[in-house]
Amino acid sequence: MRAMKTRTGTSLAVLLFLLLATGLIALLVGPVSDPSAVIIWRIRLPRVLMGLLVGAGLAAAGTVFQGVLRNPLADPFMLGTSSAAAAGVMIAGALHLGHYSSLYFMALTFALLSIMLVYRIAQIEGRAPIQTMILAGVIVSLFFNAAVFVFFSIFYRESFNTLFYLLGTLTEGDPVLIGISSILTAGGLAVCWYLSRDLDILTQGEQTAQHLGVEVESVKKILFTAASCMVAAAVAVAGMIGFVGLIVPHMLRMIVGPNHRVLIPAAAMGGAIFLILADTLARTVLAPIEIPVGALTALVGSPYFVYLLRRRQRHGQF
Amino acid sequence: MDLRLNQVSFSFRDGFRLSEVNLEIPGGSFLGLIGPNGSGKSTLLRLMSGELKPETGQVLLDNRPVTGFSAVELARQMAVISAEQHFDFPFLVRDVVAMGRFAHMGRMGRAPAANDDVIEESLRLTEADAFADRPISHLSSGERQRVLIARAVAQQPAIMLLDEPDAHLDLHHQLNAFRLLQRLNRERGISLVTVLHDLSAAASFCQRLALLDRGTLIKHGLPNDVITAETIGRVYGHEIIVFRNPVTDSPSVAIGAEQDQWTRNSQ
Repeated sequence: MRAMKTRTGTSLAVLLFLLLATGLIALLVGPVSDPSAVIIWRIRLPRVLMGLLVGAGLAAAGTVFQGVLRNPLADPFMLGTSSAAAAGVMIAGALHLGHYSSLYFMALTFALLSIMLVYRIAQIEGRAPIQTMILAGVIVSLFFNAAVFVFFSIFYRESFNTLFYLLGTLTEGDPVLIGISSILTAGGLAVCWYLSRDLDILTQGEQTAQHLGVEVESVKKILFTAASCMVAAAVAVAGMIGFVGLIVPHMLRMIVGPNHRVLIPAAAMGGAIFLILADTLARTVLAPIEIPVGALTALVGSPYFVYLLRRRQRHGQF
Repeated sequence: MDLRLNQVSFSFRDGFRLSEVNLEIPGGSFLGLIGPNGSGKSTLLRLMSGELKPETGQVLLDNRPVTGFSAVELARQMAVISAEQHFDFPFLVRDVVAMGRFAHMGRMGRAPAANDDVIEESLRLTEADAFADRPISHLSSGERQRVLIARAVAQQPAIMLLDEPDAHLDLHHQLNAFRLLQRLNRERGISLVTVLHDLSAAASFCQRLALLDRGTLIKHGLPNDVITAETIGRVYGHEIIVFRNPVTDSPSVAIGAEQDQWTRNSQ
């Protein structure tokens, strides 16, 4: 037991070290080979912090979704969240909600709404199997896409914002809104971490969890809301960045094990490392052209998902 | 700790109805619930565990309705091993057994040494200690069953409910599971209520049997009184012969004339 605890501590320390190292590299690497202090502190640092916020939130939320849905392949990206956020922004634009923060709150609200919606649609006897989750996600996503195109054709001037939400980048950033997202993410993380033992037990099945002393219905709602807040907070500032919530928890579960007390902080740090690295790549490989980081993670993530799916099918488990 | 069912009725939307079950399960009992598929055994078990709320009547644990307990309160008194189990996540056996301590230790508190002792002892008692540090997802069904029983033991319950603990087990693992249950009952005084399909096994291991047929409790008593050719034959709709197991002297069930006829025809 003691050996295990030490190993856990070591894993978390290594992750923290990697996170700091990644952040440092990201600050030093870029299209400008000899950057001035202004570039480092005013342009690169905010992006690194955005990567930390969005990566940590998405990966932690993915971990929680996978546990609550008892499905190691669930990912917030597949829930149509980005389309919903885009539709929210479109509506805000159409309603001439002038203040810039209204766009943010509409994105937040719609992202939250879509996750709840997908969960509702996918639920079969209290459980949301991966197949129905993906289907429900596709349907919700198609619906909001259609709404986006309708608004797009009417109010084309707002098109820039919409594109931004569909692509997913770490470039735009209003400090106040990022602050709000940070608070939401930190709060969500704290709640999920507090309920990490409940989450462990929930993976054993809902009835079993209830019999072991977990108030399943309320714990599930709290966890789902907290995770949804983290996803919505990320989407609202960065658009949709896919597969971070799938790849990172999956890899870290193999390294630190399935106990959520360790897995949640590990996934949060791992998500931050992954996204900061991905963003550094996205802005340097084709410099001065910048690839949206969301496109990059999806290009890497989709094949990985297919690989996991095939492997699980071969093992006959879902 | 007594479990009592007073005039308990429950219906599903598809029309199945469990009607007016009366049953007394005093502390230290070993009761087998038997009956054909769809006779209401699992429904009755789910009513006992508080998972389903009776339409009329009451399920009382220590004179309190089970549905009035909080999850934690109930988990300290009652452990349930349901038929549906999930092993999607590679938790170590030791961690799974530790989940049995949730109701006693709460969320954040560091596990006191006493907790570790209970976990170790549960592992030893069920002989799951040999694979305590392996992921449960890698175990055979017989080994998993032992782990689930170990987790239930770690709850230190007064009563344990089990839904077909012998499902998917070969004869050897079945016998091991039953012996283990019998020891928990005799040495720990834990009441056991278990759904079983194997009538002969039920008769030789349980103290009492409750026979259900189409939602009605039609007989409750000692194995000798419940397992009779007449009753079992009528409920299961086949010709059955009952004979004495020469070693345990408990009633055993075999297929009667129909089997002979079929064998003759096929020869």
